[in-house]
Amino acid sequence: MEILIYGAVTSAIYAMLAVGFTLIFGVARVLNLAHGSFYALGAYSAYVLTTLAGLPLWLAALLSIGLVAVFGILVEKILIRPQRESQLGVLMISLATALVVEQVLFLTFGSEYRNVPAFIDTKFNLWGVDVAGQRLLTLAVAVVAIGGLYAFIQFTRLGSAILAISQDPLAAKYMGIPSDRIFSLVMGISAGLAALAGVMAGPFLSVQPSMHLLPIVKAFAIVVVGGLGSIPGSIAAAFMLGYAETLVAYGISGSWTEIVSVLATLLMLVFRPAGLFGKRAAF
Amino acid sequence: MKTFKGLDAVSSWAGLAALVLLAVMPVVFTSNYLVGVLTVAAIYGIWSVSWDFMSGLTGRENFGHSLFIGVGAYAAGFLNVQFGLGPWWSLPVSMLVAMVFALVLGFPTLRLKGPYFALAMLSSAVIMQRLMLIFWEYTGGEEGIQDITPLIANHLHYYWFVLAVLGIVTLLLSWLAKSRWGLILRAIRGDEATCLAAGLPITHYKILSLVISAAFAGLGGALYAHYQLQVSPQLFAVVTSITVITMVYVGGMGSIYGPVGGALLLTVMTEGLRDFGEWRLMVYSMLLIFILFFLPNGIIAPVWHKWRHKGQQP
Amino acid sequence: MSHFFALHRFRLMSAVCLLAGGLLHGQFVYAQNKPLRIGVPTSVQLQVGRDTLTAVKMAVDEINKKGGVLGRKFEFVSADETENPETGISAIKKLTADEKVDVLIGGYTSGVTLAQLPHISAAKTIYLGVGAASPSITNKVKQDYDNYKYIFRVGPVNAAHQARALVDFISNFVIGELGYKKIAIVGENAKWVQDLVPILSKGAKDVGADVRLTELFDTQTSDFSPLLAKVKSSGAQYMVVVLSHASSDVFAKQWHDAQVPVPYGGIDVKSMDGDFFQRIGGKSISEIAANFAVRAPLTKKTIPFFDEFKKNSPNFPVYTAFFAYDAVFIYADAVKRAGSFDTEKVIKELEKTKHEGVAGEITFDEMHDVQTGKGKVNFMFVQWQEKGERAVIYPKELRTGKFILPPWMKK
Repeated sequence: MEILIYGAVTSAIYAMLAVGFTLIFGVARVLNLAHGSFYALGAYSAYVLTTLAGLPLWLAALLSIGLVAVFGILVEKILIRPQRESQLGVLMISLATALVVEQVLFLTFGSEYRNVPAFIDTKFNLWGVDVAGQRLLTLAVAVVAIGGLYAFIQFTRLGSAILAISQDPLAAKYMGIPSDRIFSLVMGISAGLAALAGVMAGPFLSVQPSMHLLPIVKAFAIVVVGGLGSIPGSIAAAFMLGYAETLVAYGISGSWTEIVSVLATLLMLVFRPAGLFGKRAAF
Repeated sequence: MKTFKGLDAVSSWAGLAALVLLAVMPVVFTSNYLVGVLTVAAIYGIWSVSWDFMSGLTGRENFGHSLFIGVGAYAAGFLNVQFGLGPWWSLPVSMLVAMVFALVLGFPTLRLKGPYFALAMLSSAVIMQRLMLIFWEYTGGEEGIQDITPLIANHLHYYWFVLAVLGIVTLLLSWLAKSRWGLILRAIRGDEATCLAAGLPITHYKILSLVISAAFAGLGGALYAHYQLQVSPQLFAVVTSITVITMVYVGGMGSIYGPVGGALLLTVMTEGLRDFGEWRLMVYSMLLIFILFFLPNGIIAPVWHKWRHKGQQP
Repeated sequence: MSHFFALHRFRLMSAVCLLAGGLLHGQFVYAQNKPLRIGVPTSVQLQVGRDTLTAVKMAVDEINKKGGVLGRKFEFVSADETENPETGISAIKKLTADEKVDVLIGGYTSGVTLAQLPHISAAKTIYLGVGAASPSITNKVKQDYDNYKYIFRVGPVNAAHQARALVDFISNFVIGELGYKKIAIVGENAKWVQDLVPILSKGAKDVGADVRLTELFDTQTSDFSPLLAKVKSSGAQYMVVVLSHASSDVFAKQWHDAQVPVPYGGIDVKSMDGDFFQRIGGKSISEIAANFAVRAPLTKKTIPFFDEFKKNSPNFPVYTAFFAYDAVFIYADAVKRAGSFDTEKVIKELEKTKHEGVAGEITFDEMHDVQTGKGKVNFMFVQWQEKGERAVIYPKELRTGKFILPPWMKK
């Protein structure tokens, strides 16, 4: 039972990260290694706004998401766009950006962990399992956010524009869709989603300057397994991974969990490179 | 204008001059510290050149280069400490081990495109790292293997040895790159379908180039082990692969000699920035962004190219 | 805008090269030799590193105020060894070959220190360790005295001693006073823990504990819920932890939020920080963490040191600070007794050290390792209580407060 619930929470966080990552790749063909930094910045700005500026938590959370989204848009515009012809170039510069963000956080806040207050501090007992309230809230928020995003893409005009660009950038341009502006929008959404994950998970996961690394590795793995550019794929893969890790942690031992995600990626790549739902084949 | 082994005269002399300069520097400055920094830089140079040969030419960016580096280094460690063999055995054995890994991994992964190949290699490297930690009773876990004996006790002499290896490897790979081999590899980067249509056994070439790249990475790993006198799972880390790729990038991808300059520049920068104390990594990353942004084709290779062909602009 | 850079590429490139060259050249200018130089290799971005440096500075200032030693003033320079062996080795090289220091004081991660040993020995420089606990470090002194006689450990007491102290804690307190026989042992998968846990397990079983679960988790773990759930279902009544680099903050928070009905304590380096309790919103309440010193009169020097440290730093000192401070004086005294700075003579005097330090009296055994015992440096078990107060719970002679249970377990 515990596995069911904890697995769901872990998967939810992974899903929020993966969906944003796959979105920007599907639309702009950008592998953004600074994606983890958005996650980190979300958590840190929630920390700053609550402890130093004394704002109420819900306001701090909203502001954090907004700020990080704007930051994401700026990063895309200034640093990434000029490199867009070379995929390696995008990788490198987004990586360097992630490093700089990490160092800025180090120098400003020190290496010690910071405390992001939780929305719900009480404990719930679900079917005999002790779960912290914050974790359940994270799960709920993730479902709402991703569901909302999916609905947005499927049912609105803007959403259709995004789909159009991801399917065929050139044709979309001919149709008059302003691809540059859409890229910025998608980047903002992607960053905001990552920041949301940071704000929600910050209270119970670690908040320290190098927190961007593991999420990005996992997001990458999930997105590949689910299929680059496919949102349903990322969600499915996120759950698979979240549960796989939780199962391993319970069944075997904590030391093997990291290997699970990486091994899954490798196997998927070797046997089915397009991922589960991938539209773009890998060869 | 093909003279010495396919490289024209000017390039050859320039390369030789650079090598001599590097060899002489620590003698002039008489510093054990400088020797150390340059030795490490030279080893990174070997890793960078080997990476460039495969990935720079074929365009298949290998994000798991650290795997070949690591297995070479650990092979050296095991041979030396566990089996008690003399250090000189490490060199050929580590190359062999790395080559085997390349063969095994190459087959399933080389048919993947772009980011997928990169990711597959990266995953493999991470798995290796994890395995080293999980089986800590055999591999020494986080600490790795200690007490490796040095190849050549005198630091300066060892440095010259490493430099010589660097020179030979660069020369060899440059020659290969300029030969028909290199042409085919570059063609693969351009358009695989056409190559296939022309009847070329692409997969063989790709795998072979990966194997060669791995061999020298492993060699570098062994040299590293006998210098640091220890190996640890950090060698397998993503950071190592990325450091090497950054060096190639800064030096100029595809040029083979450029990465040597990139390796030197970045290693020196990492050490030289120690004065900044806490700010060291920050300054380093900012400088990196600066270089990546304004000089996306790298520094060394484009500059050399420009200087060589100055009078030839139409 | 991009045209500018394209045109001036060459100049730009030269500027970068010059910058790199200039920086590097600056490193190779010879250092002045007259003052006595202490090299401090430590993890400068971590609390343990910063406190090491603050403590060394305090000691150096005090010594210089009294005119230095044998006519020479002290000064110190640091090098970041991070937690990576490669950087650690180059830090040693920088300090010994470039900065030409006379003695090294520092250290934190055992893995890094082990990697540095051959290079320290090659440089024939005395090294006084203040942070790494692995016994392997000082074993080298025994295995190869001629090459490794330069290595000393001023602190912390090595992992084997720590294990024994933990066993005493378990047998006398957890079982003896609290009556909890069923325990779980949880630790991070690092070398010093791997060294310690077998000794701990066996020792615990020998004194009648029923070890229900032993688990080592990956140091990077940030989600402990599976682990905590396992501990709970194992039926353990007390959880003994062994943590240093792991995310203790998160561990405490998750333990508290899930209201795990198992109190915990043991070795938890991060919870030694003075502001640990505050940092995590008080969620470490009732956790017992081993510490070497708190602001209590362990020796004549303890309280003055704590107070003076607080003037130089926003926080109370962590363990590396106590030992770094003592190390400087220990070296200075050895030099005074030897009447010279000659390495061989100083080593002979260092071996005879009997120094009243911040945490206890410091003496070395034949492996140059700090000894533990009555009046010497001891592992104390300190509990976080209401409002962030800390009380020494064990050993009984040093007890300053009553043991409390986690708030959700109070009957």
